[in-house]
Amino acid sequence: MDTNTNCNVNKDQTKSWDKIINSLKDFFGKDIVRYIVKRILMFIPTIFLVSFLVFFVIQLPPGDYVSSEVAKLAGEGEYLSEKEANDLRAEYGIDKPFIVQYGMWIRDIIWTPTDSQYYRINHSHHNWKYSFEQKKNVWTVIEERLGITILISSIIMIFQYAVSIPIAVYSATHQYSAGDYIASIVGFLGAAIPNFVLAFVLMYLSYKWTGNAQVGLETKEGVIGFLKSLVIPIIVIGTSGTCGIIRSVRAQMLDEIGRQYTLTARAKGVKESTIIMKYCFRAAINPTVSGLGGILSSLFSGSTVTAMVLGLQIQGPQLLAALQAQDMYLAGSIVMVQAILVVIGILLSDIVLAFLDPRIRYSGGSR
Amino acid sequence: MDKDNILEVKDLRVNIHMMEGELTAVRGVNFEIKKGETLGLVGESGCGKSLTCKAILAINDKKCEAKGSIKFNSDESGEVEILDLNPKGEEIRSIRGKQISMIFQEPMVAFSPMYTIGNQINECTRLHITKDKKKSKEISMAVMKKVGIANVEKRYNQYPHEFSGGMLQRALIAMALVCNPKMLIADEPTTALDVTIQAQILELMKSLQKDFNTAILFITHDLGVVAKMCDRVAVMYLGKIVESADTETIYANPQHPYTKGLIGSVHKIGGNREDRLFSIEGTVPLAMNLPVQCGFYDRCTVAIDGLCNKAEPELVEIEPGHKVACFACNHEGCKAECERARKEIAEREERERKEAELAAQEAALGKNKKKLFGRRA
Repeated sequence: MDTNTNCNVNKDQTKSWDKIINSLKDFFGKDIVRYIVKRILMFIPTIFLVSFLVFFVIQLPPGDYVSSEVAKLAGEGEYLSEKEANDLRAEYGIDKPFIVQYGMWIRDIIWTPTDSQYYRINHSHHNWKYSFEQKKNVWTVIEERLGITILISSIIMIFQYAVSIPIAVYSATHQYSAGDYIASIVGFLGAAIPNFVLAFVLMYLSYKWTGNAQVGLETKEGVIGFLKSLVIPIIVIGTSGTCGIIRSVRAQMLDEIGRQYTLTARAKGVKESTIIMKYCFRAAINPTVSGLGGILSSLFSGSTVTAMVLGLQIQGPQLLAALQAQDMYLAGSIVMVQAILVVIGILLSDIVLAFLDPRIRYSGGSR
Repeated sequence: MDKDNILEVKDLRVNIHMMEGELTAVRGVNFEIKKGETLGLVGESGCGKSLTCKAILAINDKKCEAKGSIKFNSDESGEVEILDLNPKGEEIRSIRGKQISMIFQEPMVAFSPMYTIGNQINECTRLHITKDKKKSKEISMAVMKKVGIANVEKRYNQYPHEFSGGMLQRALIAMALVCNPKMLIADEPTTALDVTIQAQILELMKSLQKDFNTAILFITHDLGVVAKMCDRVAVMYLGKIVESADTETIYANPQHPYTKGLIGSVHKIGGNREDRLFSIEGTVPLAMNLPVQCGFYDRCTVAIDGLCNKAEPELVEIEPGHKVACFACNHEGCKAECERARKEIAEREERERKEAELAAQEAALGKNKKKLFGRRA
């Protein structure tokens, strides 16, 4: 009796295990899951490749920080012996060959061992080396502005999409109408006027009307104050990208409206608005979604001049300053962080694309 | 409107607005289709076949403008003048897909790649028959089975790129038939398919027509397909119907030189191998600023100079059910048409001569005036 029930339990258990395994199989057998897993796995080598390139580039300038420091000290009348300089190099770890330095850099980012001197200084297991210029750990420098940069970039991106896509759809469905022409003209103006000029104009207007030129971001007066200070940056940085999105979505929509399947849907008796949204729009949005990574990177690096004019405390100006001061670890790390964000953006856009377009799921998943 | 007719097209004209000017692609087409009948519309590329059938559903491009009359008669909606309806309105949408549906010529691009085949067929039933999701899925699946798609359960959830061309054409037919339409417009439904699949699809359409008693407007340039499918044939050339008759008559006794040419250019089993296949010389002229003459004049071998290049023949009934528009065929009706045309030409030339005289007189007057003014100055 006893053994019998035991047996049954065992059977049930194996059954439930089979069930779990089968459902897992089903889940991972799905093309979309396979596609996403594959994309995430591809993400890792991409990041390593990017980091290698970044490290290679920051090593390129002649000399190193120690030699520039020695020269600086010499200027102040202090002389370091060759041995002392070499000791310093050994301490910073920049006396080793390039590939070893790269390995140490990556190792320190992923997991700094307890006996490393960076761990002794920062008491952290993740170290991005040292900003020589600011005499701080690189990550502390980046951290100050990373959050706000990501926040502003995403708000601007959402603004761009939210403004340009409805305009583009309207333009395409009302081709050659007055509204279409106005949208085109405004879009082209937005693209043609240099960002910083627009920034000056808006700051001037803001000063005229409110008595406040709105320089920099307001972080002390709560959410509303912060949003208020965001208005000008969003308009200035946002409008430049808007034109491109309008043009590409409009062209794509027109293309899709002329497709045979639009006619088929119409011949079925489908409502015009359903045709536009269900058939045309979903297909037309495809290239825009895949361009998301590019838009992100242009937001990070393309808005530097505007950010300086507007006094925004984001990463662009920080990177520029680091490059000017030859603070190579800081510059490299900023580029690295931005590259990782862009790659994440591309990953996200790929996943969205897979949901939008079944053909991508299939070609990326099963083969 | 005749009670037996499901569709009557009268003097249909379709103009296309282009940068270079107005192109009249369909120039006064008349035909009618009886309930359950198959009418073949034959002609080479660019003669206005597709535009005609798109006009019936009012799904022509914005640049196209249809004039004339297209009357559709069904038990459900009564007699409807399609050209009077708003092409985006609810009334025409309840006819499209439900009462008149259309099979397009390229199945590979007729489905949206973004949605499953099932979703796209289902859309039709949900619009016209039932809002109930389960029921409409059942109906769609039943029709898919009927058109010969195996393994429907799996196929229903597949995307167009997982289908072969022949299977897609079947799915397209399923989509057209899912609401049991009274009339089916088939715009070269087999052109994109290979011959064996073509034969299967045609068989399928025939048997489905029997089941549902659907009238079919069959558009093609393949005379072999016409012989297999159609009860009556209308031959179109340069936006006009040049000959119409029942299928047997067309093959046995073609009257218009264009029809003769078309039939002559079909290769025959048992023919001499050394013979070259007959072909009609030249191409269809562009239907823009056409001169007053028979559209086929430039390519015709039996054209009568002074008649065919000066007037355009109208369709005349030469025997019951057989109409032809040609001056050069030897029938009583045609001779009368010739007389009419000759009279017309004479009148026109007389008028033109008078106008020319008047113009000359005016010109002379103008010269005199100039002389007068010249003297004054």
